[in-house]
Amino acid sequence: MKSSKGMITKIFGIGTIPVATLVIMLALCASKGVVMFETQGNWIAFFRAVTSVMLTTFALSINLNSGRFDFSIGSISMISSIVASQICISMGFTTPVMLLISLVSGIFFGTLSGLIYIIVKLPPIIVSLGVTLFYEGFAFAITDGYGVSFVANTELTSFPSVLNYSIIILAGLAVIIFLFDYTKFGYNYKALLSGQKVSVNTGIKEVPNAVGCYAVAGGLMGVVGFISATNTGNIQMALNFGSIGVMFTAFLPMFIGGFIGRFCNERIGYVLGAVTTALISLMYARLNVDSSIQQITTALILVGFLIYLNNEGKLKKLIKG
Amino acid sequence: MKKLLAMILCIALCMSTVVGCGSTSGEGNAAADTTNQPAESAGTDEDAEEQTTAQGGMDAVAELDMSKTVKIGVLVSDSTTAESLAFQNYYKEYIAKNYNVELMYSDELVDAAGEKSAIDTFITNNCKAVISFSSFDRMAQLNQCADAGVYYAVATGTLTNDEYESVKTNEYYVGAIGPSLDVEFQAGYDMAKHYLDQGKKNFAIFGGALPYYTEMHIYRAAGMLMAMVEAGGEGANYQGATDKDGIVGKIFETATIETGSIGSINILGYVGGYDMDEAWFAKCGQMAQMDGLEVILAVGNGSDFFGTSAQGTDVKIASVDAYASAYGEAMEAGMLDYLAGKFSASIGPIFAATYRAALGSPIRNSEGNALALDQGYWVATSSEQFNEYYAVDSSVESPAYTKDMLDTLLTADYAAFSEFVGKYSFDDIKAIQ
Amino acid sequence: MSKEKIKKQIMNLAPVVGLLLLYGVFMIMGTVKDINIAYGMKAIINQSIVVAVVATGAIFIYTLGSFDISLGASVATSALLGGIVYNATGSLLCMFLANIGVAVFISLFNSILASVFNLPVFVTTIAMLSVLNALVLVLIKVNGTGSEIAVPAEAVKALDTTGFKVLILVLFLVLCIFVFNFTKIGRMQKMLGGNEICARLTGISGKKMAIIGFAMAGIGVGLGAFVSTIYAPTLTKNTASSVGMDVIIAIVFGGMPVSGGARSKITAAVIGAFSMTFLGQIMTLMNFNSGIGQMVKAVIFILVVFVATFNQRSKMLPR
Repeated sequence: MKSSKGMITKIFGIGTIPVATLVIMLALCASKGVVMFETQGNWIAFFRAVTSVMLTTFALSINLNSGRFDFSIGSISMISSIVASQICISMGFTTPVMLLISLVSGIFFGTLSGLIYIIVKLPPIIVSLGVTLFYEGFAFAITDGYGVSFVANTELTSFPSVLNYSIIILAGLAVIIFLFDYTKFGYNYKALLSGQKVSVNTGIKEVPNAVGCYAVAGGLMGVVGFISATNTGNIQMALNFGSIGVMFTAFLPMFIGGFIGRFCNERIGYVLGAVTTALISLMYARLNVDSSIQQITTALILVGFLIYLNNEGKLKKLIKG
Repeated sequence: MKKLLAMILCIALCMSTVVGCGSTSGEGNAAADTTNQPAESAGTDEDAEEQTTAQGGMDAVAELDMSKTVKIGVLVSDSTTAESLAFQNYYKEYIAKNYNVELMYSDELVDAAGEKSAIDTFITNNCKAVISFSSFDRMAQLNQCADAGVYYAVATGTLTNDEYESVKTNEYYVGAIGPSLDVEFQAGYDMAKHYLDQGKKNFAIFGGALPYYTEMHIYRAAGMLMAMVEAGGEGANYQGATDKDGIVGKIFETATIETGSIGSINILGYVGGYDMDEAWFAKCGQMAQMDGLEVILAVGNGSDFFGTSAQGTDVKIASVDAYASAYGEAMEAGMLDYLAGKFSASIGPIFAATYRAALGSPIRNSEGNALALDQGYWVATSSEQFNEYYAVDSSVESPAYTKDMLDTLLTADYAAFSEFVGKYSFDDIKAIQ
Repeated sequence: MSKEKIKKQIMNLAPVVGLLLLYGVFMIMGTVKDINIAYGMKAIINQSIVVAVVATGAIFIYTLGSFDISLGASVATSALLGGIVYNATGSLLCMFLANIGVAVFISLFNSILASVFNLPVFVTTIAMLSVLNALVLVLIKVNGTGSEIAVPAEAVKALDTTGFKVLILVLFLVLCIFVFNFTKIGRMQKMLGGNEICARLTGISGKKMAIIGFAMAGIGVGLGAFVSTIYAPTLTKNTASSVGMDVIIAIVFGGMPVSGGARSKITAAVIGAFSMTFLGQIMTLMNFNSGIGQMVKAVIFILVVFVATFNQRSKMLPR
């Protein structure tokens, strides 16, 4: 009896936010006479958003949960997709190879970022500022500022599909759960996360773990870069911190994921957080919502959700009288 | 000790420089006078006499002394678009190698404060002229340059009539050469008409920076709508407007394009801005895949944002931008159908005008006014045409405007200069070459 | 004085030495390249002053170990509303008061929201960044003339002097130095930033200090908006868009630890802002293209901060 009650609470906790969001978004669209998932294109856009936001949320949270704020994830996404697409265009490689090269170059640039961090031993936020500037500059320099365009390359732009994005979602989730929940690296990560000093004193090697975190985050962002590049067939340049905007898309799903994570594996929470934000994004698109209204609405949802999270106890007391 | 030193340094650094630099907003002149450098070319009596002659209509142009390297600052508002990179390429790879000039580029500018800082840097570096591709506050740019005795020119754009009237006699204002708002309107009109003449009726519009009130994008969109009003049959109108001013006014009211019918012509979709987030890309995707859509008219770059989504459909995409290799590939693959592009050498004449001003021979019309010349686009509607244009446009050995051609402008009078710029079409330029 | 102490003193002076070094490099390169150094110094002041003023106020937030990413957007909003007020009243004083009032209101709103609802300040400022960016677009759309809100250049010309701007910086710097170094507030803030639990146990109110810190930062933002407007009175959606990141860079460039606490110093902002501008000018003199220039800037940034904070290393990795 008790366990079934617990199960119901879990299911309720896991499903409430995404399901409620889905219902609200469907209702909003219906009120305007719009079918939210009308065409295959709508489904693809939805799955792309889920994939991209989920991977970015993983990447951001890996370091942020450990107190390492990383502005550079957007620039890693950009530089790794540039490297991958340039290699693939010049060598005539196929889409899976581009995905692989994006992943590997993401890991490389992430590792480099981590190495700089452990060598200079500066606060990660500062290192990430320098790294962001460096990668943006590097991306600009190797493309002469033009970025990369392969809009006419039907092989590389054929990637967007519900199936392909689903595979990436499942593979990404599986890899992250495996890495952080079933390996020594993951155990050490969790130990360091909950007590840096104690963990280091007990012999956990913090340095390789930190570099590993940057490498994993880099790999994830490499895939995000790949998804973005294959969506439009071009990669636009960004200078002077123009690439950091990517990071901000991950805060709302990260907090939602943190909440859902109380009832299940936190990574699954992040996926559901990404699903929630993807639903909101699709509603914006379907109803052609003005960008300033989008920005304000998203910010209010973020603040409202955080207010709830941080005052949950008080609210419960208030409701109970 | 440390704190004290730091405090003293902070305050002393600020104060000493204030004392060193003087303190009025006309400091540019003061600084220039101190060194004789920024205003050197315009500061001597001889030069002044020469200018008077020049202002009298350039009846007799003095021989130009090109032995000294002239520093010219270039204000850049975008470092990453195909258009700005093509322009930079022409200046760096052709102009700088063929003339005794040193071109200094600003960083990517995003606001009027950035423009002002960049001009300060140019003045510091003894630039004798500034060519501006940035338009946040052109009047402020000109005033700042004039205060420092530095020549100022507008590339790839023009001033409004009111602005021109207020500065046309300013001795440091070289002038502007580029597409005026009328030309931008015409570019949009021609683009839409190209498809209306083919019998197309279902359109979508990409408004680019229209939501941010970027005038050239508003006028291009207005041109498109005007063509639709004309083709839409009796009673066709856009939100009640049937003429150019009315349509422009309607767009300014809402900073968007309303979808719906203009007589028998349909605007099925509209996307504006460059948000580049998931929602925006989803908007682009769904617009490109709308049922019945025939043509996407973009006030800027269309194929990069809609090309892949429109893949496999019969939707045509038309863009306004520059001649970049990516567009050639897109045209060849059928993803881009129409390109109204600025050619990179189009900024050659404004360089010539600026250079000769810096050498002491500014060009003025018979009334002593600065240049105000229109220039339009090269329009490619096929891959072959694109390739023909691109071959010339991307050449750094023999670009559209070669040194020989530009040299004629260094000594040309206003009428000849104006005639040269007016013949901007590809065929006209080939004929001149 | 022990060897260790001397070493510590030298390292503490590293940001100042860094600034002098950059100044020296600029002077040498400027002389070699025969630039107009006097004018260049004026340009450097103009280019540094907004960041210096805003960053000086922001030190109060950073000292607490907090972080406000919405400062640039706050400068823009405050400047735009100030511009609207000027255009409605024709009074520079009203514009100035609007600049300060709006900025302090935004700043206090951030801190009160965070305090009342127990939110992490940083996340509140992320949300505020989105709201303010959207508000900027709305303000321009509703009140502007298309793409801008412009205060007539003639109206602010008289104030657009290096002396006036430096005066604002110096006065604000003196106020901040006084509050930070000669009142309890500074000490309490340092203690809160250094060890929050300890500070609370000694009776220091974190919420009160956060409100004071954000109020001081708000004054800096308002002054920054005012200086921005008199420097470039045509205000657009991108006005001050780089200020937010520049403030962070300036503060760390000046040797301030981002974790706040006892090592916080109010002068770091000014030193950092000027160092950053000198570096930018040196890059210009070297005539790098945008990409290479940015890479070099990044490397120098890391190196300078590395040297400037050399005495702040711990055995564990910093977070």
